[in-house]
Amino acid sequence: MRRNRVVCRVLGLLAVVAVCVYPSGTAWALQSASLQATLTPERLGKGTTVGFGFRIAAPADQVPPPLTGVEVSYPVNLGFALSELGLATCSPGTLEAYGPDGCPANSLMGYGTALVEIPFGPLIVRETAQVTIVRTTQQSGHLALLIYADGETPVSAQIVFPGLVLPAPAPFGGRLNMAVPLVESLPGAPYVAVVQFHSTLGPHHLTYHERVDGRIRDYEPRGIPLPRSCPRGGFPFAATFSFLDGSNAVANTVVPCPPSGSRHGQPQRAPGQLPQLR
Amino acid sequence: MAVGRPTALMTTIGLLLSIFSGGALARVDAHGHGRPDRVLSAHMARALNATDTARLRYISSSGSLLFEEGTARGTLPGSMRAHCNLGATFSASFTIYTHGGTITGHGTATPHGSGIYESFAGTLVVSGGTGRYVHAHGHAGLYGTFNRRTYALTVQTTGSLSY
Repeated sequence: MRRNRVVCRVLGLLAVVAVCVYPSGTAWALQSASLQATLTPERLGKGTTVGFGFRIAAPADQVPPPLTGVEVSYPVNLGFALSELGLATCSPGTLEAYGPDGCPANSLMGYGTALVEIPFGPLIVRETAQVTIVRTTQQSGHLALLIYADGETPVSAQIVFPGLVLPAPAPFGGRLNMAVPLVESLPGAPYVAVVQFHSTLGPHHLTYHERVDGRIRDYEPRGIPLPRSCPRGGFPFAATFSFLDGSNAVANTVVPCPPSGSRHGQPQRAPGQLPQLR
Repeated sequence: MAVGRPTALMTTIGLLLSIFSGGALARVDAHGHGRPDRVLSAHMARALNATDTARLRYISSSGSLLFEEGTARGTLPGSMRAHCNLGATFSASFTIYTHGGTITGHGTATPHGSGIYESFAGTLVVSGGTGRYVHAHGHAGLYGTFNRRTYALTVQTTGSLSY
């Protein structure tokens, strides 16, 4: 059974160094952030998978301060509510106890990775964690997600933190607010610092199940509908980052409009016919 | 279903305005604000408490925008069209086509729950119309469900309408 706790598996020299040497690799308030976003496929009027990621950069040989919050704003008129993502929900307790495997398949919304840096004395150890995003019950009328990050080595940690989809001013349609918890590496040692994160929200690599005529059928959920026309200048994304030392960073990016040859308007359909956005 | 009657106050004010304007017909809105300086067609304000249920089906969509059509049953039966924006919050503008004219308005709602059926609750404002409802205004509470597989909407409203 998985538990939401940190289990140190650091062996040999790393552990010795960590408890004996001041973490000189920690440099706070000098970091910068960049944001990446993708729409795959980018076909206007059709469903898509939204990819978003960020990179926190610190001066060479230094670790940025631990990240405590991220807000990613997404373009107006992306149809998150019209996607079939998250038809079921998973509770934080289930996710903490059993991991994503314990959640309903229809609650899965995306996958990704996170790269964290852990200052062990003069060394900077990097660790990649697998990320899974699931739907959970609404909170105060807002679509709520849970982000599960599973790191194995050198620090074994499984953490769950919440994400809320909140309104955002134009040109954005909403913002995904994520409160990132502090994760200890070793007792008394600095918290781990997230330096890269990338995840998807969409049907890519997702298989949902439904019962049809008494049988369970697998299907790929409908993606997040793109509008039939591209906003002038492309689809804007923005992110704000909050760090433990009280500093903030902002990053922006734009997904360019697709070439005109790949634009597909969505034809009207007969009343009652199921929407086909794939 | 509860159909209201013109209140005694409105009727009295309307009658008085008719008398004091030399018999000309004066428009009186639901708040009793007469405009005897403008001679218009006869209009007697009516107010009613309306409870309706609309069942809408998917016609087309673009991103978070959804166009739906269907029928409304209850106090103001008719066909209905709605342009919805299902973003971080839900909003919509609608037109109900009744025998006596159209009723237009807009509303906002907050989604609740999760699963295939997304429930929501909010308020709507009636802002105008045509025909008998050219002076329509009012407000109502709304709640309903949205089927995330078929995009079918069921909306129940209850509130007051003056016209």
